[in-house]
This record gives sequence, structure tokens and C-alpha cells, in this order.
Amino acid sequence: MTENHSASHGTETQRHRAEGPQKHIIVFVLSMVLTIIAFAAVAAGNVNKTFVIFLLLGMAIVQVFAQLAFWMHMKDRGHFFPIIGIVGGAFVVLMLVALALLWTWW
Amino acid sequence: MSAHEHAGALPPEPEKATLEGRNKILGFWLFLGAETVLFGTLFSAYLAFRNSTLDGPKPEELFQLPMTFIMTVALLVSSLTSVFAVQAMHRHKTGPMLGWMAVTIALGAVFLGLEIYEFNEYAHEGHRFTTSAFSSAFYSLVGFHGGHVAFGILWIGLLILQILRKGLTVVTAPKVYVSAIYWHFIDVVWVFIFTVVYLMGKV
Repeated sequence: MTENHSASHGTETQRHRAEGPQKHIIVFVLSMVLTIIAFAAVAAGNVNKTFVIFLLLGMAIVQVFAQLAFWMHMKDRGHFFPIIGIVGGAFVVLMLVALALLWTWW
Repeated sequence: MSAHEHAGALPPEPEKATLEGRNKILGFWLFLGAETVLFGTLFSAYLAFRNSTLDGPKPEELFQLPMTFIMTVALLVSSLTSVFAVQAMHRHKTGPMLGWMAVTIALGAVFLGLEIYEFNEYAHEGHRFTTSAFSSAFYSLVGFHGGHVAFGILWIGLLILQILRKGLTVVTAPKVYVSAIYWHFIDVVWVFIFTVVYLMGKV
């Protein structure tokens, strides 16, 4: 990424900070494609139900990881506590969902 | 573009230039951790009650995928435009930043308008808050998300007005950054809502 900006003017820090929109547009296109696959799989119908549910969850999780990492900058340095916060929250959510499903299934 | 006078003195990442700004971002992330749990409780209630429809309409009878798809695209594009707002902020371009923020809330308003229309349609089809455990859990989860969108529109709207008055400074920059993080979080929650509620309701 830095090579792209090496020709532009400005100090070392400014060159480093001014990241281009390319990777964010890639995340957007990826999210769009995953969303379309998910909707198409459901709209198609008559596909194995269990397979579609796991496909949908897979599409959602990949999309969310990409957005958390790039759009919400969690991949950048200095995001230890944000990761602790979100992973901790996600852990509680998984337990809650497991509890709700076990409670209604058995 | 009068804010360019202020821009000259701004550091490259104005939202992280002060300890207060960094603390606001950290505190906001901890808030989002709590929000994750809060939405998790609503998701778990929905998953537990999604088949408890009594005499009311079932999920597969209610949901219209084209509508959900348009709402999803509106929110996804708005998430991208709020990335552009933060990128404009990092370049100290106040005008484009405010423009992208305005586009973001306009798309948020499209999403919210469609959701209100959708809920109104459901109510006419006999799917009201007290119809069944499914309907209560559905409106709690999706309505609470819609409430977050409404709050985001209000928040970013007021932020635009404040920056028009005060310009982009090390005080206002963390607010822009944090509101963008909030907006992405709304989109992330929606990804799970359209997957778990709408698409799985149609499988």
C-alpha cells in the first residue's frame, strides 16, 4: 500500500496515514457477493436444509469478520481491549444461543 | 471548506491525538461488547420462540426476501460511505467528510423507512407485538436494531451540525470516528438479523 503513495507529497507520517479506499471497496464487494450468495441459496429453494443453514452462517461470519477487521479497524495495532470486549461479548452470546436452543429442543 | 484553516494544525489521526480521544474510543469498544451481549439475549429469545406462532402468521408466510435484500444493500452501502467519511477525516477534508456522513444517514433513513413500511404491512397481516411469542421476540429484536439505526441517524445528524459550527478539531474528530464504529456495528448486527431471522425463516 505504501508504494502507491510514495509519489505523493507530504511528510513520512502523512504518507503512512493516508490509506487508499481500495481494501475497503474490496471488503464491500466481498460483503455484497456473500450477501447475494446467501439470498440466492434461500431463493433457489429445494436445497438440503442443513447445508443451507450452515452456508448462511458461514457467509455471515466471513462477512462480519471482514467488516470488523477492516471497516472497524480491529486489525490495526492497539486494538487489544476492543478484541477482548467483542470476543468476550461473542462468548456470552454463544452461550445464550446454545442455552436457548437446548432449552427448546430438549 | 472554511474548515481548512483548522486542518493545517491537525495531526494525521486527529481522533487518537489526545488521551481523551483514545479513551473515548476504548470506552466505546467496551460499550459495543455490552451491546453484543444485549443483542445476543434478543437473538437467543428469538431462536427459542421462533416456532411459537400460536394462530398468528408464520415467518415463512410473512417475510419478503426482495424487501429484506434492498434494506440489506442500503445498510451495507451506508457502512461503506461511513468508511469514506473517516478516510476523508484522516485527510483533514472536512467538506467531503460531512458529505459522506450525510449520505450515510440518508441511506440509514431509507433503511428505517422500509422497516417502518414492513412492520406496518405485518401489522395489517395480523402480526402484532402481542400476537404470539414469535411476534414479540421478532419485534423486540428487529425493532431494537431499528431503534439503533434511528439513534445513529440522530447522532450523526447532530454531529454534522456541530462540525459545521466548530470545524474538525482534536475534540470533534473522536466523535466522528466513534460514530462510524457505531454505524458499522449496526451493519454487523444486521448481517446476523437478515441471516438468522429472515433467511433462516425462509429455509
